[in-house]
Amino acid sequence: MHDCPPGLNIALVDDDQRVLESLKNLLESADHAVRPFASAAALLASGCLPQIDCLISDIGMPGMDGFELLRAVQTVRPELPIILITGHLDLLDQVPPVGMSQYRLFKKPFDGEELLAAVGKIDGGPGT
Amino acid sequence: MLKTAPIVQEAQDLILSNLSPGPVQKRLALYVVLGILAVFLLITLGPLGEVQTKPVSAFVPAYFMAMFVCDTITAILLFAQFSVVRSRAILIIASGYLYTGLVLVPWILTFPGVFGPQGLLGGTQSTSWLYFFQHAGLPLFVIGYALSKEMDSENRARHGAPRGAIATCVGLTAALVTAVAIFCIGGHALLPRVVLDSLHLGPLWPYAAAPVALLSFAALIVLWARRRSMLDLWLIVVMCLYTIEIPLSYYPNPVRFSVGWYTVRVIGFMSSCLVLIVLLYEIEALYARLLRAIHAERRERVARLMTGDAVAASIAHEVKQPLTAMTTTASAGFRFLDRLSPNLDRAKEAFEQIVADGHRAAAVVGSMRAMFRNDIRNRSMLDVNELIREALMLESTDLMRHKILVQAAPNDRLPAVQGDRIQLQQVLINLITNAIDAMASTDEPRVLCVSSDAYEGDGVIVSVADTGVGVSSQDSERIFSPLFTTKSDGMGMGLSICRAIIDAHQGRLWVSPNSPQGAIFQFTLRANGPEAAGA
Repeated sequence: MHDCPPGLNIALVDDDQRVLESLKNLLESADHAVRPFASAAALLASGCLPQIDCLISDIGMPGMDGFELLRAVQTVRPELPIILITGHLDLLDQVPPVGMSQYRLFKKPFDGEELLAAVGKIDGGPGT
Repeated sequence: MLKTAPIVQEAQDLILSNLSPGPVQKRLALYVVLGILAVFLLITLGPLGEVQTKPVSAFVPAYFMAMFVCDTITAILLFAQFSVVRSRAILIIASGYLYTGLVLVPWILTFPGVFGPQGLLGGTQSTSWLYFFQHAGLPLFVIGYALSKEMDSENRARHGAPRGAIATCVGLTAALVTAVAIFCIGGHALLPRVVLDSLHLGPLWPYAAAPVALLSFAALIVLWARRRSMLDLWLIVVMCLYTIEIPLSYYPNPVRFSVGWYTVRVIGFMSSCLVLIVLLYEIEALYARLLRAIHAERRERVARLMTGDAVAASIAHEVKQPLTAMTTTASAGFRFLDRLSPNLDRAKEAFEQIVADGHRAAAVVGSMRAMFRNDIRNRSMLDVNELIREALMLESTDLMRHKILVQAAPNDRLPAVQGDRIQLQQVLINLITNAIDAMASTDEPRVLCVSSDAYEGDGVIVSVADTGVGVSSQDSERIFSPLFTTKSDGMGMGLSICRAIIDAHQGRLWVSPNSPQGAIFQFTLRANGPEAAGA
């Protein structure tokens, strides 16, 4: 059905191994290339930031959280589309102004198809 | 009975007639008495006695009205207090004030120059004799009050309608006043001539007045020996004023509308107001205390619910993680199968993960149950009806605010159940809060019925029935699962925690429809405790 591969390069950050795995499966089922990271620091250390088309990150994580990661990424790739995921409803109040269209926010548990649709809207970046 | 004793004792400390006076009050009372004594001396011995005054015809009706209103309000407040404390002493002193107020009615009717040159009723002697009877009456009531205070400790626990006792006292007092009025008005020709004419008091006046003054003094002594409360203190002051007032009516000028006479009226008004002012002041102070107590209680309750919410939030987060993984992996698996050339390996992998995550979610729920099961140390023997009463009391503000009629139908012969007081309290509060929320949006008569009954021999069943929006039959099981909520601001954890708690108590929690509308939440508990059931 969706066999024409959009083939985005997506970086995935979540401290929960199971959630990370499930997201990787989901994105791969839509033929995206996924680079999973267990922490924000691991992503920043990997040096893969310039190659990715999209970042999907959990918000509540030990060490550097999703918001901090977002700010750190912005300094390098201000135009990078970012999708944040949270399980804590009260964190929603702290979400920075979402005026810019490249940010999306999903509440756990989210609908897989909706997440894929959001990713699908992203144009192929420098990777394609 | 024994269990409620400390609460009753605590409440007694908040009741006006039991509050002990502070040093400021004592000093103030002393100043009042000393001030009146100084006025007394200034008039009888000093220059004030020479001052000439004119009869002011409007003074007497104004004085009557003020006294009448003060005395009856004091009586009403004291009767109201009786209905709370059920103290016979309070009932007696309330009747005393009612008597003092009511006697003023025949007094004004006989007063020369008010409703006619010689008064509307009776003769020249009636007015003074009514005054004597009034001033002899209150001291007698005060003595009765002082003497019956000691018996109160045994009598206080008496049950029965206070309304009946109040009605009897009001009736008896009215009958007494009528008898005094008939005696002084009808029999005025037979009474000793204490008054010469409509203005001048006769030489016999002091002989009739002296015993009256002595009675006030006796009341003062009796009360002094038994003084404890604020009410006692100010009644002592009133008796002082009564004692001072009577000689001042005669010395130095035994004439109505003299300086002494006017002063007596002012003192009379003061003594009438004193207890009223003290009562009002104290009611206001207690009201403030009550408000503070309510605020403190509400804060405590909110704090407790907050911790409940915090627990719920952390559990919710724990459950959400595997749920998220499951739904996401399921989507992935579906997509792997839904391709032109299905990727069966990846799909199989996805399903294996879903199974693993399902087990993980179950483990989280299991640990949640274990959390409520752990603290067997907190278990104690509980009276379910007491738990219901406490929960309803905690929720009373919200119930009142939403105009919900509360019906409690406890079965008083239930065995004690073993359980964790806080947890079971939380279940009840949760169910009651849900009931309030369910009824908040309905217009129909809002009725919350909380009942308890025996269940399957040695068990207990508690029902919380509301007339709210109800629970649809397809939701009746789902509402107990974590994360299911019908509330816009809810976590959906309340009922699942309730069920976990009741499960940990080896009981059951379920919902059924109420007739004609609403929902009935019911849970069962075992009388012999969960351990005996082999938990």
